[in-house]
Amino acid sequence: MFKLSKIKKTNGLKEERLAVELAIETNGLTKKYGSLTAVDKLNLKVEQNTIHGFLGPNGAGKSTTIKMLVGLLKASEGTAKIFGQEVNIDQADARVGIGYMSELPRFPEYLKGAELLDIYGRMYGMSQEELKEQIPQLIDLVGLKGRENDRIGKYSKGMQQRIGIAQALLNNPDLVILDEPSVGLDPVGMVEVRELVKIISKEGMTVLISSHLLFEVEQICSHVTIINKGKSLFSDKLENVSKVISGPASMQIEVLNINDDLIRALKRLTYVEDVTQADNTLNITLTTRDDVSAQISKTITMSGGTIVRMNQKGNRLEDMFIQLVNNLQGGKN
Amino acid sequence: MQREKPSWTRRFLAVVRYEMLRNIRKKMFIGVLLSAFAFATINFALPSIVETAENPYFAVSFSAGSLMFILFAVVTSMHSFSGEYEKGTAVSLLTKPVSRTMVFLGKLTAISIVILAAYAVLYTYTTIGGMLVYGPQTNLHLVPLALIGDVVGTLIWVSIILAAGAISKNSMLTVMMSFGLFVALSLGGGLVAAFSEDIAAVNYLPGGGTSGTMDIAVGQNITIQNVTVNTYSSVATGTNSIGMNMIKYVMYPEAHVNFYHIDYLSMTSLNMTTPERELLYSEPLLLITLRSVGVAFVYIVAFLFVAWYAFKRWQITG
Repeated sequence: MFKLSKIKKTNGLKEERLAVELAIETNGLTKKYGSLTAVDKLNLKVEQNTIHGFLGPNGAGKSTTIKMLVGLLKASEGTAKIFGQEVNIDQADARVGIGYMSELPRFPEYLKGAELLDIYGRMYGMSQEELKEQIPQLIDLVGLKGRENDRIGKYSKGMQQRIGIAQALLNNPDLVILDEPSVGLDPVGMVEVRELVKIISKEGMTVLISSHLLFEVEQICSHVTIINKGKSLFSDKLENVSKVISGPASMQIEVLNINDDLIRALKRLTYVEDVTQADNTLNITLTTRDDVSAQISKTITMSGGTIVRMNQKGNRLEDMFIQLVNNLQGGKN
Repeated sequence: MQREKPSWTRRFLAVVRYEMLRNIRKKMFIGVLLSAFAFATINFALPSIVETAENPYFAVSFSAGSLMFILFAVVTSMHSFSGEYEKGTAVSLLTKPVSRTMVFLGKLTAISIVILAAYAVLYTYTTIGGMLVYGPQTNLHLVPLALIGDVVGTLIWVSIILAAGAISKNSMLTVMMSFGLFVALSLGGGLVAAFSEDIAAVNYLPGGGTSGTMDIAVGQNITIQNVTVNTYSSVATGTNSIGMNMIKYVMYPEAHVNFYHIDYLSMTSLNMTTPERELLYSEPLLLITLRSVGVAFVYIVAFLFVAWYAFKRWQITG
């Protein structure tokens, strides 16, 4: 169980860094493997102190992009900057303020958990005092207390994921990059990771989180970038998702005691274009993409109906994601 | 730029510790070390190892020579690069603020320290053990020369293994390639020495080199098939013998080494009981020693450069 109260306020941010507007900025970032273009002229911009979701189907180029940011892959073309400083595989010093956890991270099996953090901490240049203070807190934070002196070879996948999160936060980074952090965790662990990400963001860290779990991104991210086939399809605040979706928004509501008065009351609402009934389900076509579920449920209840289930389609990340990916695959975008 | 640049030394030492822990906790390394101790212990029971009380040969002759070099090189180096790639641990390591050159140098330093420490413990054991079994010995101050020479001889194989690992990113392939090369050089060198008149060529390959005989009488004479051989006067020219040759040079600085073509094929003749020997050339022991050090240095630098260059270019896709 993660101990969410233990995260320490970051002291890594310096005035110079705050003066730089973007945490991550890529310009025409491209990665080619022979004839295959994994990342295609990507212009990714991540603002400071945001939780930025990085979405895309399998093979979209998310991990390849991240690997170019953290020094594992060399870009074929283009540049990448983190807090204004160019990053590539030869710029080790640029990684001092970055915490990174890969998808299903693996660590040397011969090291003990606390030993791993100690060695990595020294690679970040942390002092003995800093390590002495930080390591027990992180061990406690990720729920590995009592197992920190076990060899990592004896850790389960979930425990390796937890030590992976601990090492990503070790240096109080200004930027945390998490590649599919929920993979390998049980449902409780997934919720804890989401809560942890929210907290570290409040403490001043910028978080780039790659995920294929749309609801995860929707729950915690303030900004989102969607890529497919190496190209950026959308990059904006999450709240602006609905503005780019074409076609009508709609709601499907399962209601008991449907009557004519109820349908007429719904049709009188200014943002309702049409209402059709199929058995106990009302299909409501809307003229807005704002969240109007509260007003509609109030109207139904006041007209004597009882709502069993309600689903608004057309303004959610999932809808946009499917639409954007489908459009691109159909050559419409 | 934004954060303070961490101390290079602190980061480098972290890499050294990371790699040293890998080595000393490896079961294979512990197995080879225990085997070397067992081999050394068995050698105490063989009286042939002590020839004269004034030479420290007994302290270093326990080793299985080149076989020990490659075994220690394999167990310390086979996973250093390829293992990081195969197990996926390179991802976490190379995203830390440590450059690939720093990682390379840190790993090399750790491997060298582990080999030096292992040999030092072994030589201390054999020196003390030898004295307990055979009585007091002199010239023991020369034992460290053998230690240094054997570390250099082992580092050739370390550099070959690191280069193979960094290029192939496959530990099993690395070991097979290295052992294959080891066997080829061992057999090839022996065959050239036995059947070719151009025996000097093997002096420029890593391994055993060729063999000659010092022109001064030292050690113990033994007779094999009616031929009297002075055992300690035998000198091997290869990189495996740097340590021993340094000791011999300090003890006999004026010595020259004679090299013969031995016609083993003539032994098949019915009326011949011993092979015919023909003197090919003679060289000072100093030249032989310096040349083997130079050859070792060139191979070590060349293979380490290849390993470093390949590692620098690694793209971590998996």
